[in-house]
Amino acid sequence: MDKICKKVNEEMQRGWLGPNHECPYHPAHFTGQDCSFCYCPFFPCHDTTFGWELQGRHGPVWNCSDCLFIHRTPVVRFIYSEIDRLGIKDASDPRFADIFRDAKAKFWKKGRALMVVGATSDAGKSVTVAAICRILHDRGYLVAPFKSQNMSLNSKVTRSGAEIAMIQVLQAKAAGLTNPDAHMNPILLKPKGDTVSQVMVCGKPFADYDVDGYYNEFVPGPGVEIVREHVEFLKDRYDCVVMEGAGSPAEINIYDKDIANMRAAEIADANVILVVNVEWGGSFAYALGTIELIPEKDRKRIKGIILNNVRGDPSRLRPGADELERLTGVPVIGIIPHADVVLPSEDSEALRGVHKKGAGKCLIGVVKFPRMANFTDLDPLFLEDVSTVFVERPQDLQGVDALIMPGTKNTVSDLLWLKETGLFDAIKSLWKKIPIAGICGGYQMMGRTLDDSNGIEAGKHAVYEGFGFFDNTTKFGEYDKQIIQNEGRLAVGDGGEITGYELHMGISEVNEKPLVMLDRFHADPLPEGSVREDELTFGTYQHGIFDRPAFRRYFLSFVKHDGNAIEFNETDDYDSVLEENLVKLAKVFEENLDVDKLIDIAGVRE
Amino acid sequence: MSILFLGTSSGAGKTTVCAMMNRYLSRSGIDVAPFKGSNLSLNSIATKDGGEIGIGQAFQAWAAGIEPETDMNPVLLKPSGNGVIQLVLNGKPFMDLTKEKKMDHEMVMGEVKKAFDRMESKHDAILCEGSGSPVELNLMATDIANTGLMKATGVPAILVADIERGGVFAAAYGTWKLIPDELKPQLKGFIINRFRGDRTILKSGIEKIEALTGMKCLGILRYEYLRFPEEDSMSSSEGKLEGNDARSAFLANLDEMIQHAEEDGFDFGLMKKMMGL
Repeated sequence: MDKICKKVNEEMQRGWLGPNHECPYHPAHFTGQDCSFCYCPFFPCHDTTFGWELQGRHGPVWNCSDCLFIHRTPVVRFIYSEIDRLGIKDASDPRFADIFRDAKAKFWKKGRALMVVGATSDAGKSVTVAAICRILHDRGYLVAPFKSQNMSLNSKVTRSGAEIAMIQVLQAKAAGLTNPDAHMNPILLKPKGDTVSQVMVCGKPFADYDVDGYYNEFVPGPGVEIVREHVEFLKDRYDCVVMEGAGSPAEINIYDKDIANMRAAEIADANVILVVNVEWGGSFAYALGTIELIPEKDRKRIKGIILNNVRGDPSRLRPGADELERLTGVPVIGIIPHADVVLPSEDSEALRGVHKKGAGKCLIGVVKFPRMANFTDLDPLFLEDVSTVFVERPQDLQGVDALIMPGTKNTVSDLLWLKETGLFDAIKSLWKKIPIAGICGGYQMMGRTLDDSNGIEAGKHAVYEGFGFFDNTTKFGEYDKQIIQNEGRLAVGDGGEITGYELHMGISEVNEKPLVMLDRFHADPLPEGSVREDELTFGTYQHGIFDRPAFRRYFLSFVKHDGNAIEFNETDDYDSVLEENLVKLAKVFEENLDVDKLIDIAGVRE
Repeated sequence: MSILFLGTSSGAGKTTVCAMMNRYLSRSGIDVAPFKGSNLSLNSIATKDGGEIGIGQAFQAWAAGIEPETDMNPVLLKPSGNGVIQLVLNGKPFMDLTKEKKMDHEMVMGEVKKAFDRMESKHDAILCEGSGSPVELNLMATDIANTGLMKATGVPAILVADIERGGVFAAAYGTWKLIPDELKPQLKGFIINRFRGDRTILKSGIEKIEALTGMKCLGILRYEYLRFPEEDSMSSSEGKLEGNDARSAFLANLDEMIQHAEEDGFDFGLMKKMMGL
């Protein structure tokens, strides 16, 4: 406490600062944040709107790491003026309690929620949420994305070590937030086998359910309360929670059991915007049908329609849009042209039918495991002069200049799939001829054996033979998952910086030269991964390792096409490419959307 | 003795379903032939009578065991870039359509009607395919292959609703709702296409759509891994095509689909009844 008082005293003497761009941690919370009170003069306020009591090793600790109130400029200005007015000289002055009470009364109000639903999967909900997050953020609102339930195999790790969907991380970035957290995606479903899904709640494994169990036990029981708790948490801290629906909100056969769409809107008291993808045609029917099949009590929440992904001249849709408005009574607030942006794809739906991607000369084969996970790992490759081809059969390997085996939700089952399809032998015959990289599950397969004698992965108690490219073994010991966010350096090549995250079952015993060295807090760097440069073989547990140029360039330096190496352009981090594209996306929406109307619907206007 | 397969969107599976039904009916000894009033496609084929038609109708003809001919696809619209579309009428290039030179809808519709009548006079049954969604509010006034044909010929129709992307009930209901009231009685049924998983979960939804619209559900077709000829730019099938002969592989695929549909209890009898067979 004394340390905090000392810091607050310094902050009082220094006066108003605004955003501190000099600080190496800036922005620690959100773009545009006020840094004057890096240390909060109200700590510990013991107000549960802003924080909660955490049981620490030495007794209770007030945790307010999610609170953004003290980083809003009007609040900060008010505090300084009160300090002046009252002549407060020291942080321990009891009158800070009064200032806190007055500041809360004056500047805090519960946030609002806005929900984006789609007439179909792939309607463009995710990008619409991202665009709305950015549009509101640019106008000074504090915005958080939210999706109650996600069925995705692409996840990321938050700062506090929880797993959330990659797409909410991207939307949080659009909202200018530095630390997306699991409140934004409290329920994550990970398909496990064909009928069972692992349900993760707030980033931690909760239980496994089949379809029946999920809808009849989980949803009406814990599901509803989980959604409520986390939406309320975010509404306490943000001006607007922009929620994303899942699939269509008008699946009348399961309407009562759906907590991802209109039910979530009801829980959050959110107005709803319906997004329809125009590209496939039938958009007017989809829009009208969706609105009319939703029961009236929920239908009245739908306040706007966005016709999305229009190729060609958007104005040609206006007469149809006018007619749709007349028929539904809901205004069409935007007709958005196809936005040519590079953003990660949300789920495998978007991969449907895509066999080849990219335009570069070098052809990189990507093994398309039936349970492929975190395939967004590969997106940064398209920043370079490469194209990728999905490999599902031995003949797909023809002409590939390098091979990547990505992650999988079930290493053992997909290893068995490789053996069934003949890919296992085909890949083995390419060893030492072309560069082969394995990430996570793909890396586990590159070892000598995979020990599933507890039957964790494939249900059968057995030890499986891996590729044997590395002298490693992996054991699926117990039902426990490694979830870690990492920074570090390459242990090879130019030793450049890398970032990555681990999400896996199973622990590997590694007897190879490490690929990377991971930073550890107050400890020596930790070796991770395996590399045999002379055999062109690379493996790591780090998802996202292609994001930064160091590993991407290192790996691609071994790749030859017709004997020629890849020529590198000046490219940035994938992160800055994403930022550029978010700006571009928001611009397309802003130019084709009635932003005033949007802000009205969001209900955030003072 | 004809029927028209409409779709809830492009790529809903009209072409395939229509081909499958051609195959099914011809196998049951009915003299059946395909028809599509208007096609927007760059994938065309030369017929033996020296004309040009969309490739989808050629494959459907082969499915029916007959040779493709120009009357099966009287209007073919071929985008040639820069907003210019070549109009192929009755198998022959007729004119280039531009922003200034629009199609004479009445004349073209007349030709389509004549082609359809010629087809009907030659065969027991015609299986027509619609184009895109029939209820594009901004295009409906000049429609040819969907409501245009329904109006001109009184042909009954079945809606093929794609479930793959979700929203299938909304799509079916919304399409029905936007069909002009005077044509609604012609819209007799719907098919749910590309389903994966446990079909019993759909039951309550199907019943509700039947009750709301009066359309009958003929069945749920499962997701098939097929490689059919690319009819329009929206399709990107990545399925299998075994062997060297595309045509026989295609027919084998259709036979497999028919077998699956029979196993799954698809109501072919109801379809025939809707056709008046």
